[in-house]
Formats: sequence, C-alpha cells, structure tokens
Amino acid sequence: MMKDGKTIPIMAEIAEVRSLSGDTSLFRLRFEEEENFHFLPGQFVQLSVPSGGEVPISIAGGPSDDRSLELCARRVGHVTTMLHSMGRGEKVGVRGPFGNGFPVGEMKGKDILLLAGGLGIAPLRSLLHYILAYREDYAAVTLMYGSREPDAILFREELAELSCRRDMRLLLTVDFLTDGPPGELACNVGLLPSLLKGFDLRPADTTAAVCGPPALYRCLTSELEALGIPDRSILLSLERRMKCGVGLCSHCAVGDLFCCTDGPVFRFSDIRGIEGAL
Amino acid sequence: MQKTITEQNLRALIDLLVKKGTRVVGPRRAGSITLYEPLASGGELILGELPRRSAKEAFFPLCENILSFEKTTEGVKVADVDPSQFPETVIVGARPCDAAAPGILDAVFSWDYKDKFYLERRRKTTIIGLACTSCDDACFCTSVGLSPADPRGSDLFLTPLEGGGYACEAVTEKGEKLLAEFPQLFTDAEAAKALPQAEPAGEKLDLARIKSWLDGNFENPLWAEISERCAGCGACAFVCPACHCFDIVDEGGETKGCRRKSWDACGFGKFTNHASGHNPRDAQPKRYRNRIMHKFKYYDDKFGKTLCTGCGRCIRACPVGIDIAAVLEEISKK
Repeated sequence: MMKDGKTIPIMAEIAEVRSLSGDTSLFRLRFEEEENFHFLPGQFVQLSVPSGGEVPISIAGGPSDDRSLELCARRVGHVTTMLHSMGRGEKVGVRGPFGNGFPVGEMKGKDILLLAGGLGIAPLRSLLHYILAYREDYAAVTLMYGSREPDAILFREELAELSCRRDMRLLLTVDFLTDGPPGELACNVGLLPSLLKGFDLRPADTTAAVCGPPALYRCLTSELEALGIPDRSILLSLERRMKCGVGLCSHCAVGDLFCCTDGPVFRFSDIRGIEGAL
Repeated sequence: MQKTITEQNLRALIDLLVKKGTRVVGPRRAGSITLYEPLASGGELILGELPRRSAKEAFFPLCENILSFEKTTEGVKVADVDPSQFPETVIVGARPCDAAAPGILDAVFSWDYKDKFYLERRRKTTIIGLACTSCDDACFCTSVGLSPADPRGSDLFLTPLEGGGYACEAVTEKGEKLLAEFPQLFTDAEAAKALPQAEPAGEKLDLARIKSWLDGNFENPLWAEISERCAGCGACAFVCPACHCFDIVDEGGETKGCRRKSWDACGFGKFTNHASGHNPRDAQPKRYRNRIMHKFKYYDDKFGKTLCTGCGRCIRACPVGIDIAAVLEEISKK
C-alpha cells in the first residue's frame, strides 16, 4: 500500500455534523485507523465520498487531537451534495493534508489581521484557533469577517464567544441587511474592506491573512498596501480546482506555480507578478 | 566496430522479447490508424509511419485505475495498485520526437512528489529509437532543437542504412544490455552509409526570444485572435507527447467502484472550473494562452526546458487548423 496519505485515502467516520447556514455545515471527522493526522492551518485535504468522487476542502479546525479533523463544506457540487446527505457514523475518505499552510512560525510576534469573506472563514478559523492556542506568541489579533447577509454568517455561536474575548478583536460586516432579525451579533453593514477604514494598525508589524471570493483579493490587497502593510506580509489563501494534490495534474496551476503544493497560501509579493493569479 | 541489425532480426528481437514475457510496444495498425500498442509479434511492427498518438502512454496510460473501493458491513475497504506488477517494457521504433518526451515528463513526475505509477513504468522501460528518413508538413522537431536523427531519450538508437538494415547505437546502459542479451541478432559491420535523414521545413525557432515575449505578453490580442477558432476539443493535448494534465474521477456504484486517472486537457472549458461556478480560465483565449505559456514559458521557468518536441501531431489533429509552429514563428517575429 502506498500509505503516505497522498495517494490512497485514509478512511474517516463522520463524528458530528453541525449546520452553520442554509447550505453550509461543519463536519467533524474521526479517523478510523490509528492514524495521526498532523496539519498546519491553511492546508487542505481531498475529501472523498465513496462513489461520488473527491473535492478539495480546507481544514477549518485548529490543532486539537491528532485523530479528528473539521471541514466546513458548502452544498454546491455533486460531491458536497452527497456529503450533506450523510450523517454521523458514515464513512468518507481523506487524502492529505496538502499544501503549505500559513507560516505560523514566522508570524510569531506580529499583529495578526485575519480577513475572511464568506466561506473563506474556514481556513482562517483554523488559523485563529491555532493562534489562540498559542496566544502568547502573537501580538494583537483581529478577525474581520464579511458575509453577504445576516443569515449567511457562519459560526455564529463561536463568533458570539469570540466577541467577548479581551485578547482579540472581532469585527463583522454584512453586504446588506435582510428583513429577518439581525440577531445578537454586532454587525456593520458594508463590504469587508469598509472595516479597514479608520482601523488603527501597526503596518510594519502586521501580518494579514486573507481568504474569500475571488473579487475580494484584488480589492483587499490594494487597501492593505495603502495602509502600509508590506506585500510580503499579506498572505492570500487561493482557491483553485485541485485534483491530484501533489503538483502533477496541472488543474490548479497559477503561472508556473501549483496552488496545491506551492500554495494554497501565497505571499502577495510572490504572486502579484503572476498574471491571472488573482 | 559498429553494430547493425537487419529488419528481419529487428522483428525477431520483438518475437524473442515477447516470448520471454516482456511487453513490447511499437507502432502497430489499430483499425484505420497506427498507434504505439503492445505487439504480439515482430510482424505487427509498422516501420514507416508516425503513430497517431505519442508513445507517452507506455509510461502514462490514457486511463488507468489507481485504486478500488468496496463498502462492506465492516466499513469501506480501499485497495491500491501495486506498481511492482508493471511489466518490463521495450518500446520499439520510437521516433526521436517521442523518445525525447520521457526526458521532459520525468521532471514533472518527480520534481516534488514521486509518482510511482509513472516512475516505475519508466524505470522498467527500454526505448529503441528510430531515426526519421521522411517527414511531413507538420513535423517541426528541428524548430525546437531536436532532429530526425537525435538519439537523446533513446536507449538504443537505430539509423536506417542504405540497402536496408539499421545501424545500432547504444545510448545508455539499458541499450547496451539489450545488445549484450541478443548478440546473435546484431552484426559487427563496417559503417554502411546511413539513409539521409528527414528535413523538416521550418526554420529553427529562437525559443529564448519566444519565452521573453511570453514573459511580457500575458495580455495580448494575439490570444483572442488564435483562439477565436479553437473549439476547445482537447485533441492537441491528447496526441501530444509532452502534455501531462490528468483528471481523477471515481466510477462505480454505492457499494463498489474504482478511482481512475485519465488524460485531461487545459483547453477544456471546465478544466479549472470551481464547484461554485467561478472559473479562473473562463474563456477560450485564456485556455489557449495557458497551453502556449505552459509549454514555452512556465515549464521553462521551472525546469529550464521546453514542453514540446515538435512532433507536429497537434497540427495534424486540430480540426480548425491551428498550427502551433506558425504561432511560435509569429511570436518569434514580434
């Protein structure tokens, strides 16, 4: 057996499914075998649903025990539709972890600014959990999270808890309000970059990590640079259609780089010259 | 002293190899076309034609199972493929444009992840190359730095001689081993005169100049001009000896099935499509551009070589007449 976890999936059991919004749920997987699954925030896995196929999904949980894994999946394609029809106790396959992950060591001592748009909260939640687990290693920590509308805000209960913490700041925004109840979360109305207006930061000592829909990157990178954050301290987690996960099949090519092996976390300084990357 | 082999003995070599259980792959009639396929006997070898598809499938099959799974009451059982079961293979009659391809693909399948499927087949394969004495309008190997008599990539290289037979050059240890294993088939001979090699028409391209244009012209009207005609059929990638994109799909039912790896093409509209509907290469010009960029810029940036051997197959296969050699020539003049 090629048991490197890269080619052959390791089987896992769905231990818990938590609905986060109308179309998005958090799946906690538990590995069947005595496998230790080590990963870094920002890495992804190839999740397979038997007979359905594989999808690349970022790891949404922080470092807990080595035998479980949290993935946040939106019901959007045929594999995730099958996944959403599955419940506790059912089996899925996992290959990975793949990719570089966030440079958590190098980020030590820095102010951390996390900017998440929509489902982009998933890998940044993993990073946030990591940072909070090693809180003393990092300076000021801020999460800015933008959703389309109040109903689309993911991890509401966790956000409510985070908003009470004194060792980090949480700023939420929605693109627009709907008729529904606004809920208990304090929330700005406007696009994610609007949260940066008037935000007090120490640009030279800040590392920003961004994940969200494609349009967000172009807009946020220029805003962050305008605030004085160096382009090498702006980390972008890119989305591509990863297939093999190991830098062969070329589906996720970004110029001469591969999102699956060179990324998915890229420094803005490394990809700003690669046309078509953002 | 130079070694030579007669055509009859070349066919006998195939018979002997087949007899001892070696998989022998060579140009063979397949319906109305010629393909590199396993030969049952030396008589099946076609010597005068360039096969429709390249020889890469001897290392990198068009489609293969990479694992199988079965749902049982105890859970899901996953079984993989054991690469040690891949057969020893000899490719006979590979043209220089095909023999050169593995040298290009080796880097892809081993630069970081070591792909056992490819590497194990490659390790077990000996290539008997064959110089070309004729070519057609689409051939342009000389334009990209190869030649119809280039032994690079072959383990044993055959050059057709005047009056029949072939001069044999052992290029690698694998080639020497083959000569040593079947001494009765090879003759020591004074070098007979080689038949004149083919002369593809195109001028040698300035690949460095092409790359430097590509470095600065990600956005250029040329991409839309060329791809206005492109049907996105992917034929160019499927006949190419150097293209190596692949897809991974699961097939089967609820209880059992397999995972298959099959060739893919960056020209296909859905190649980069996300489940969300977002597509980084959402129009044909972006996809055609990627094909050219990958072959003549990105691969070069990464491995210092060009991802093209000038076989001309994409030109012959294109249903709308896109000619990559003409495109390169146009770029080289910009």
